[in-house]
Amino acid sequence: MAVFELPDWAALAPALILVATALALFVIDSINPHTKNRSLLAGTTAVGALAALGVAVWFMVAGVGTPTAAGGRGVVELFGGQLVVDQMALFFMTVVSVVTALVAVASYDYMGDHAYQAEYYSLMMLAATGMATMAAANSLVTIFIALELASLPSYALVSILKDNRGSVEGGLKYFLIGALSSAIFVYGISLVYGATGHLQLEAIADNLQGAGEYGGLLGLGILMLIGGFAFKTASVPFHFWAPDAYEGTPAPVAAFLSSASKAAGFVIAFRVFTTAFPLEPTTAVIGVDWTLAFIILAIVTMTLGNFAAATQDNVKRMLAYSSIGHAGYALIGLAGLSADGGEIVMGAAMMHLLVYGFMNTGAFLFVALAEYWGVGRTFEDYNGLSNQAPVACFALGIFMFSLAGIPPLGGFWSKYFLFTGAIEAATANSAMLIVAAALVVNSAISLYYYARLVKAVWIEDPVSGRDTLSQPTGLYAAIIFAAVLTVVALPVFGPIADAALEAATVAIS
Amino acid sequence: MEGLFDYAPAIALFPLAAFVIALAFGPKLPKKGAIPGIVATAGSLALSLAMVAAVVGGEEGYYHTTLFTWAAGDAAGEVGEGIEFTFGILIDPLAALMLVIVSLIAFLVHVFSLEYMNAEGETGLPRYYAGLGLFTFSMLAFVYADNLLMAFMFFELVGLCSFLLIGFWFRTRSAPSAAKKAFLVTRFGDYFFLIGVVAIAATFGTLQFAGDDSFVAAAEAAIDDGGQLFGFDAETWVTITGLLVLGGVIGKSAQFPLHTWLPDAMEGPTTVSALIHAATMVAAGVYLIARMFGYYALSPTALAIIAFVGGFTALFAATMGVVKDDIKQVLAYSTISQYGYMMLGLGVGGYVAGVFHLMNHAFFKALLFLGAGAVIILMHHEQDMWKMGGLKNKAPVTYYTFLAGALALAGIIPFSGFWSKDEILYDALIVGTEEPLIMAAYAMGLLAVFFTGFYTFRMVFLTFHGKPRSDVAEDPHPVGWAVKFPLIALGVLAVIAGVANLAPVAKLTGLEIEFLNEWLSGGAEGANYAAYTDALAAVYDTGFIGTESTTVLIAAGLSLLLAFSGAGLAWKLYNVPEPVAHKERLGSVRETIESNYYQDEYQVWLAEGLTLPLARAADRFDQTVIDGTVNGVSSVSLFGSDRIKRIQTGIVTNYAALIVTGFIALVIVLGVLGGWFL
Repeated sequence: MAVFELPDWAALAPALILVATALALFVIDSINPHTKNRSLLAGTTAVGALAALGVAVWFMVAGVGTPTAAGGRGVVELFGGQLVVDQMALFFMTVVSVVTALVAVASYDYMGDHAYQAEYYSLMMLAATGMATMAAANSLVTIFIALELASLPSYALVSILKDNRGSVEGGLKYFLIGALSSAIFVYGISLVYGATGHLQLEAIADNLQGAGEYGGLLGLGILMLIGGFAFKTASVPFHFWAPDAYEGTPAPVAAFLSSASKAAGFVIAFRVFTTAFPLEPTTAVIGVDWTLAFIILAIVTMTLGNFAAATQDNVKRMLAYSSIGHAGYALIGLAGLSADGGEIVMGAAMMHLLVYGFMNTGAFLFVALAEYWGVGRTFEDYNGLSNQAPVACFALGIFMFSLAGIPPLGGFWSKYFLFTGAIEAATANSAMLIVAAALVVNSAISLYYYARLVKAVWIEDPVSGRDTLSQPTGLYAAIIFAAVLTVVALPVFGPIADAALEAATVAIS
Repeated sequence: MEGLFDYAPAIALFPLAAFVIALAFGPKLPKKGAIPGIVATAGSLALSLAMVAAVVGGEEGYYHTTLFTWAAGDAAGEVGEGIEFTFGILIDPLAALMLVIVSLIAFLVHVFSLEYMNAEGETGLPRYYAGLGLFTFSMLAFVYADNLLMAFMFFELVGLCSFLLIGFWFRTRSAPSAAKKAFLVTRFGDYFFLIGVVAIAATFGTLQFAGDDSFVAAAEAAIDDGGQLFGFDAETWVTITGLLVLGGVIGKSAQFPLHTWLPDAMEGPTTVSALIHAATMVAAGVYLIARMFGYYALSPTALAIIAFVGGFTALFAATMGVVKDDIKQVLAYSTISQYGYMMLGLGVGGYVAGVFHLMNHAFFKALLFLGAGAVIILMHHEQDMWKMGGLKNKAPVTYYTFLAGALALAGIIPFSGFWSKDEILYDALIVGTEEPLIMAAYAMGLLAVFFTGFYTFRMVFLTFHGKPRSDVAEDPHPVGWAVKFPLIALGVLAVIAGVANLAPVAKLTGLEIEFLNEWLSGGAEGANYAAYTDALAAVYDTGFIGTESTTVLIAAGLSLLLAFSGAGLAWKLYNVPEPVAHKERLGSVRETIESNYYQDEYQVWLAEGLTLPLARAADRFDQTVIDGTVNGVSSVSLFGSDRIKRIQTGIVTNYAALIVTGFIALVIVLGVLGGWFL
């Protein structure tokens, strides 16, 4: 028994802390409009994100969101089920706040001489708030609002370098594709509403029967919802914004978007499809199994992402495509669902998103470090960096091999669980065998380009005439922390796996 | 007494400690590692004797314990459930006897090395003593292994050690090559052994030698059930697995056709040869058959093959020994031949006879090799017998002990070799009267007695008798106590060891003096001579020529007659002041024999003419098909990557168009499947 009972709304504390931090940053900015006190701004951001992280982990450990039957404090439903705080929500809030904290710390150096310090951090916190809210959103309306709350600051963040052509171009493309996707998404919402008469997810599930003759309409609506999720998770065919946006934007922002934003996109997809469209009744109404869409998307996404990444010259662009590839891996979590289960494969996808949060953020932060040094953007420019910065390059090796899925790093385990989960799901749906095969083939290809980067920094001869490289504290700290988390994911994988599996089980049931 | 068994692991661990000490501190020790080796093997010998006492004094008459289980699983075998891989110790009368033999020979070899190696100022002595220690350790652990897998591991370790020691003089050209040959040829046999181990484990789920849960008991039960194992009749399957294990035996015990490594192995120090031939490497093969004799006793086919291979090898190797000029070469072929006898004995069901000969041979062959070592010291490292002669008076101790060994080897009554060889031939004869194949094996074994007598005494006469035929033979290097003591000890054993089992005397007089017979009848239930006798009754019929007594007399008389004729012929030809070679009289046969029947040639041809092209073809397949596929995949991937990259044009209207196209495609696919457009 706890000493005191918090009110229900307190379950949203991680999101509330994030928004409070954003407001605090506005306050600082309005008191001193052009402050360049980086320590104060980055520090506030990091503290806020870490506080959110701490609360989210504490809630998870304390059993908030765990069904009472399983010995927890019960799933918290707020505002008539518009928001819900369960294990999955807390899990993704954790992912989002970890990535936010890492990016905030790394930005301390990266954004050092930037004009809009306070705006940068507050936009980031607002986006993080949106993502945390996405994790808890339980109605198509709140989902849409949370999604836009995450997206709009992101557009601004991508083009934060106002004088940089690439940054502005990337931001504009991101915005335009985002607008198109949001239009499709919101149209999908209206179709679902039209067919079922409800927006709250459980209510939709209860009223699927009512859709009756509007099955095709509902199916179209569902597909349009998938379009919205695909945009947010940078999945094919809604991925086009990602390479351009990531390449143009500051690397910490790219890290933030490719890790946290992607994870948030997945949580709403997981929630909508497990809660609102249970497989059997939905199939009865729309006449086709919606996992088929995810199977197609998963295969196409991972294949396109990895193949396009293979021959990139630009490191950041390679990472952008690799993040598309990883979206494909995570999509297996939805593709592998079946009427009689799928919590293993979905739990594996959640694990993968968490580990991916560390390793991918770390990789982008290494790129941030390279940009900070100004060594250049291509593989050749990275040649022999290990001579001058062995620690950071060692961390890069960890990120790359973990991304490729080499044991014993964290990325191996999550991919391994995805693979076994896919194989297991193949008993219900033999198409999953193709997905599992695609996973293996694509992982093999990914090793090629990840190893290429490791080879460049460790084996190739250094570029001659390179200046001595400084060691920015914040970036180093963030990179090393991410590397440690990627490695430590191995011994602590048991609890992570348990948490993810539990969350997935609750979500599916 | 049974408390003594608790110290059993130390028997093997002592030499292991000596190995570590010699390796770590050898260069700093006064005798470069000899002292720890001697102490350790003496300790092993004392403990082994204690084990014998414990076996005698114990109630069960054997000791079996599992020290360590390093893998256990539920995977069911063809019969039985679960499988377990363990390290354990089994000390029954057979193992105890062998422990004594091995540790005794190892001890004497260590002592002998003091003079043979240390006094000669060899370099690399720590390596030598480390090798001896590890060798002894491996063999002792092999001897008391309680299961086939553990036996296999130490069997391999024995092979490794002999590789290291044969190649001790690695700076010469021939020694490394001989070491490599020994390693590869025995490895070829061990390959089958390994498959056999796996097959037995997969079939019965156990690898234990003795006890109720042994694979022997399981195989017997399976045969009694009359079921099928892996699609074969149970007995056929036992034969197959038994023959696979036999592959390792044939390699290690240098039986035809895998005997070719042994003569080359003479490149190692003579002390090492003594150890290899008498107690370790070569003995390991035959010991393994004795160890799992219960398993072979279930398969008449396997037994007959063992007997026939043994008989053939005995004769085959003996003929080659006749024409050798190098004293060690003669001994090498005699080893092959003598192990052939042991195989013959075991194959015809003469379990006691085979083990008896193993023991006697260990003594007299170690004696002969150490004697040859002494001769080599005398002769300043000259090994050609035609350059010796007349050593008889200059080195009496060496001569008389060598002579005792030679008489034992030739099978002259009453030396030890006679009794065991006679028993083997007797056992073969009584089975042979009913089984023609065994009769043929017996005939070959019998004929080999003649050649054995001949080459043995040819060697004795050429080495010790006549006039000195070189300067060094005129004035030999003296030998010290470290040489004489082992020679005398073994010489005594070579003379009297036959007392252990005077089977013919017992059969003729009815006295109960078959001690070894008694001894081997004790031990673990189902894994002793008494049990084997029952099993063999179903395998072989035996018959006598006339009565038992006449058969005994005929067998003994025939073999003695042939031994004396061989020795006599050698006496006639070579016991002259200035002997000459008589090989020319053999005519065209001579060349064949001197070339060792072209065994090496055809094996080299097999390697170069068959294996090498096959390997080349496999390599080509790997280079072209496999690598080609891999490279093709990679270029296709990179090409695909290049194309896919181009989808990203950088123009946002193209993106919008592609997104909408992709989305519509998805809608069409799912819509058609879901029937939305109807």
